[in-house]
Parts: sequence; C-alpha cells; structure tokens
Amino acid sequence: MGLEEKLPEGILTTQLETLVNWSRENSTWPLLFGLACCAIEMIATGSARHDISRYGSELFRASPRQADLMIVSGRVSNKMAPVIKRLHDQMSEPKWVIAMGICASAGGPFNNYAIVQGVDKIIPVDVYVPGCPPRPESLLYALDRLRAKQGKETFRTYVDFKAPPLSKQPDEISSLESLRRPQLA
Amino acid sequence: MLNVSPRTRAYETLPGLNPLGIPAVAPLPSGESPDTARIVERFGTALLAAGLHNGQQVVYVAPGQLVALAEFVRQDPQLCYEALIDVSAVDRSELPVSDQRFHTIYQLRSYARKQHLTVVCPLADSGRPSVPTLAGVFAGATWPEREVWDLMGIRFTGHPDPRRILMPESWPNHPLQKQVPVGGEEVPFTLTWSDPEFESFGKQVLAAESKPPVLPPGMSRENMIINMGPHHPSTHGVLRLVVELDGETVVNVDPDLGYLHSGFEKTGENKRYKDFVYYTDRMDYLSAMSNNMGYCLTVEKLLGIAVPARGQVLRVLMAELQRLASHLFWLSTHVLDVSGTGMALLMYATRERERILDLFEMACGARLTVGYMRVGGVSRDLPPAFLGHLDGFLRAMAERIDDYERMLTHGPLWEERLRGVGHVSREQAINLGLTGPMLRGSGVDWDLRRDAPYGGYEQYDFKVPVFSEGDCYARYLLRMEEMRQSLRIIRQAVDRLPDGPFRVEDRKITPPPRAELDISMEALIHHFKLMTEGFQAPPGMVYHGIESSKGELGFFVYSDGSAKPYRLHVRGPSFNNLFAISNMSKGAMLSDIVTNIGSIDIVLGEVDR
Repeated sequence: MGLEEKLPEGILTTQLETLVNWSRENSTWPLLFGLACCAIEMIATGSARHDISRYGSELFRASPRQADLMIVSGRVSNKMAPVIKRLHDQMSEPKWVIAMGICASAGGPFNNYAIVQGVDKIIPVDVYVPGCPPRPESLLYALDRLRAKQGKETFRTYVDFKAPPLSKQPDEISSLESLRRPQLA
Repeated sequence: MLNVSPRTRAYETLPGLNPLGIPAVAPLPSGESPDTARIVERFGTALLAAGLHNGQQVVYVAPGQLVALAEFVRQDPQLCYEALIDVSAVDRSELPVSDQRFHTIYQLRSYARKQHLTVVCPLADSGRPSVPTLAGVFAGATWPEREVWDLMGIRFTGHPDPRRILMPESWPNHPLQKQVPVGGEEVPFTLTWSDPEFESFGKQVLAAESKPPVLPPGMSRENMIINMGPHHPSTHGVLRLVVELDGETVVNVDPDLGYLHSGFEKTGENKRYKDFVYYTDRMDYLSAMSNNMGYCLTVEKLLGIAVPARGQVLRVLMAELQRLASHLFWLSTHVLDVSGTGMALLMYATRERERILDLFEMACGARLTVGYMRVGGVSRDLPPAFLGHLDGFLRAMAERIDDYERMLTHGPLWEERLRGVGHVSREQAINLGLTGPMLRGSGVDWDLRRDAPYGGYEQYDFKVPVFSEGDCYARYLLRMEEMRQSLRIIRQAVDRLPDGPFRVEDRKITPPPRAELDISMEALIHHFKLMTEGFQAPPGMVYHGIESSKGELGFFVYSDGSAKPYRLHVRGPSFNNLFAISNMSKGAMLSDIVTNIGSIDIVLGEVDR
C-alpha cells in the first residue's frame, strides 16, 4: 500500500505531529519540586514499587529550564505562590501542570489566611488529582490523562498558544541588572 | 470570607482565686510541689501564683520579674531548669475578662531532675504589648519568640533579631490575634461551568515581580551571598537559606521559613477537638501516627480519661512503626543528599517503608495521612491478617538494618562527609532547646518515652542510645540504633497485645459501634450529638510532649470549656532543631550545609505549621 511497500523493512511512516507528540508523551520530565505531604507520595511514585520510569518521567529535573511538567504536590502558601509562579514562568514551552491533591486543586482542608485556594489561581492546570494525598496510582493515572492530552495536540494548537508579549525585545536589553529592576533604572 | 463573628462561650471561673492580683479567669494552680515551693521561697509575693495545674507545675509571674525568675530557675542547684522547650502566647480577648489580654507561656525542662515547669506571664494592656526577651538566658528562645511576635504581635524587648519568621515581612496583621478572621474563601457549591469565574483561572495573576534582595542582619556584601531554596533539591522541602560565603567557607546562614505556613494553629481554634486529629497528620507528614498520638494524649490529659490497655498497646505499636518509617525516609534522603549517587539506598529504604505503609493501610485504609488515633483510643481494631504481615516484616527488617549499615557505616566517603561535621556540644544542645536525636547525639541522656513515660511506654524494655560526639556521624549511628530499639518495642507490643476494648466506652467521647445505631435510640442520639457538637473539655491549660521521631512534639491546649480549643499551639521539634543550623554550619564548607540539613531531619510541614 503506497510508499511503505517500496521501503525496505524496518522503516515506518507517520505524521510529524504524531511523532512529536509520541516523543513528548514518553519523555515528560517533571520538575524536582515538592511542597508538602503529596511530595512524599510523589517520591513513592518515583521509587521502585510504583516506578514512574515506565512513563518516561523518572528524570526529575532540578532546573525549571529542563522540565516539561510541574507537579504541584501540596498546599501553596501565600509566601510560596510568587515562587511557584516564577518557576512556572521559567519552564520552557511546551509545559504542563498537574495539581496533585486537593490542596493544590482547591485549598483542601486549609481554608484559611495562609493558603492559596487552588494553584489554578496562579498558573494554568492541565490535570487535577483528587486525594489527600493521592495514592501513587492516582498520580500515574494523572500522567495517563496527561499523555492523552499531549497526544491530541496539533501544530495548530502549538501555533495558537498565546504567549504573553515580551516586555522588552532582546536587542533592547543592555545588561541583566536592567532587566531585574526596570523601575529603579 | 467565612463567617467568623466573635463567639460567646461559657467560661467558668475557676476555684482558688488568688488574691495577689491574678486575673479572675485564668487556669489557676493550686497546691504546691517542692519546685514551686522553692520558687515561692525566693520570690515571695512578687509571684502572682504558683502551684500545680492538671498535674503540671505552673508559676504566674509579672513581666518585670520574668528574666530574674528564668535566671533563678536555671542556675539554682535545687531547680536546674536548663532548657527552654517552648514559648507560646494566648490572646484572651474573647474570654469574659477585661484586662491582661495577652499571656505568654514558657515551658521549661530540667534534664537532670526530670522535671517540667510552665511559666505564665500576664502582660499589661497597651497598644504595643511587650515582654522582656528570654533569649539572653536561653538561646533557644530566639525563634519561638520571633514566632510569637509574628503570629501574635507581642514584642520582645531586647530581642536580638526582632523580625517576622513565618509570614511575609509585609503581612498586614498578626494572624493568631482573635480579631483577625481565619480567612479563606467561601466554597462555591453552586458554581457551574458557565460561570465566568472559570474564565479567570490561570490568568488572574500578577507578574512574578523581582523584589530587591534584602540582606539579613549580620551579613556583609563584602562576601558572596548565595540563596539556597525555597526550590532546591536538598533542603527537604521549601526551606530557604541565605548563605554568606567567603570562598567556599560558610560565614553565616540565615534560614527563611514560612513557605509552607498553613495556619494549623488558627485552624485548630476553629475546629472541634475531635476534628483536629486529621490536621495533625499533615503537620509532620512523615510521622502522622506520632502526631495523632501526641494530640490525642494532650486532649485526654485535659479531659482526664484513660485509654484501655489494648488501645494503648495499639498506639505504641503504630507509633513505633511510624518512627521506623520516618527514620527510613530520613536515611534514604540523607544518603541521596550526601553521596549524590546513593539512589540504591533510596530504593532499598523506600521498599521497606512501603511495607510499613501497607500495614497502616490494612489498619486504617490510608498510607500517609492516617488519622488512625482518636481521642479515647484508636479508630478501629486491627484486621485479622495484620499480625501475620507484621511478623513477616519484623523478621525481614532486622536484617535490612544490618544491610544498610554494611553499605554505609564504614564507607570512606560516608565517614568523610559525616565525621566531625555539624558539631553541637552538649551545652549548646541544651541551651538551643534541641530535642530528640539532636540532643542525644550530643550526649544528653533524655528520652521522653523513658523519662516522662506516656501511653504505657514504662512497661517496655528498650535502650535509649546516646552518643557524645555531637556530629552528624553520631546522629546517624544513633538513628540506626533507634530503629533497632523500635523493632524491639514493636515485638514486645505484639507479645503483650491484650484483648478488650480499643477505645474508651464513654459515649460522650467516642461514637457507638455502627451496629448499635440500628437498634438503640440512645446510641443514635449519642452519635448525633458527638458528630454535630463534639465533646466539651473542662477549662484549663495543658501541655504534653511526646518523643516523636524528630524530637519532642508538644501540644499546648488552652481551653475555655467549649468544644473547641480556645488556643492550640504546637511545638514542632523540627522548628526548634532547625535553629541550630547556623551554629552547626558556621566555618564549615558549603556542601556541609546539605549534610547538616539532612542530619537535623526536618519536615517543613512541621517547621512552618
């Protein structure tokens, strides 16, 4: 049938979109980033019994620039919220977020002055995982859901992504210090 | 906003009103003990009151005499209260009293004499309530006093470092004051997908601004300042350290806490006694069972009830399993931090830990946040298969600990990174208010399970390992030995597990069994009353500390006689132990900070609460 009949054995044809999505699905590297109780279950997911590397996600990167996935594992306090926002901004596109547990999803039992009522107030969330904390199996299922979502992406959705406009064009930047404190300069 | 209108509560005036000018509505002591008699002998009428309250020695003292009293009880050879364990405060503005709104409360400990003393200091009313600091007498008061200033708004005059500690520096109020609402948001049960609120999710945020860095006091820009955390792989959570470096040598370390501050104490004041058990799981989430136990024992002490024998043994069994699990997790992360390539031990230790979590799951259905214990006992009995699985685990575990030791103890890299690092002397450990392995690693022979037994620990035969070196290596050896001793205690608990009820039969405190609800109207009423109103605790105050895996976990409850604690304070062992980090790290290398953090064994949920 068509091209594949004429090719030598061992060569497959596919669409570029499918290939890109396939590789993203199977190598979603999470950010090495734990907040509270859910982080312990996240570590349990990464250890031998549950073995997150079956999903290609065992490589927890300490630098946000190398990570694709942020697992918000625990309650987000008012003091921590700007840090999380900044970490998410520092991750390169495409990036995904899993809100692990009820605290990250909606504040959970901590409906008080200290805790942000859901991390979706500050960053966009792709998958919400219920539980307090969710079992490792739940986190793996969330990764499954995320893979399904990643598999459906098309070049059109990549293009349609609305990146915030840069406040400064690269050639306008004279020094790093000028980036840091625009008001003071 | 939640409905947080001021509550009106019944509050009985306690008997034994002291004529010396003590406020009428306060948990007053009566009688005397040798220690309080000695203090009264020295201070006489300068004291407001002294005696016993709920079996604890309590002294009321005016702010003017506080420092003199602290110095006296510390230095007097007959008293010898060497350590300040905890500082807390209570805002009494919702009690029917008109004066002395704030009381500060100090918990003192004598290790040599195995005594505990509570000092209460009623503050004069003013717009800026203040009290002299005790940081000059006990260095360990520094952080707890900063916490009281941050959360309660009481100034400590003469304090060496009067900054906020948990909340952001710009926070508008002091959250534990009673007029500050608990906060939070209304839960929108009627929200549908067409609601415009969903549109805003993920978009309503402010830009992540860069604030100009603030240099902690005592640091100089001459040296290099390095920011470690709050997102850092080896700070065990969201701890932030500001480190001043001269080359690679650490000149100064300033921990910045509060990135996981969750308002446990404020939440606790708005929950019934029985409902707060589940919150304690989420404080030190690596030892949920110990937290449950500490809280339940405190409330039971206030209520004056005794748990049946089976319930007690089950609690000890679970608490020791939890200590094992917590130490296993400490070991795996410590090895990972220190060696960098110790992934194998992480896998081995989590494998054993999973078996403990399986046992918890059999007993109560949850792995991590267990909520197994209740005021009055435990929530349910063991399933039949539990003891068989436990036996298999115990037999395997003893060999595993030897395996870990073979991998580490005499490893040249391991010794090189741990020996002589993070040294804390015996005097420092006591003065800084350290507890648990930090204290025993520095040569202080103190374990609450043996020296102030609770929950039936006096019936078990176990050794308390003590090392005098005071470095990270000693603390490593100590925790390994503690794991073996925990195994011993668990075996004894299994052997002596008696039959009988696993929680008190008092229907005012524990709900009736499910089967009874179908046939007994009375049981139904008890159940309904308990679930809707909870139980009331007598007015008074109580502090109870237990030996958690990290150190002394203390709960302080100030009750006004209602079904909710008027003030609930938690003394987290990690919080006080973390204070030692600057002392331990000064003059060491940057990489030793990571070793020290691992060796202190912090859990940020408990540090920040």
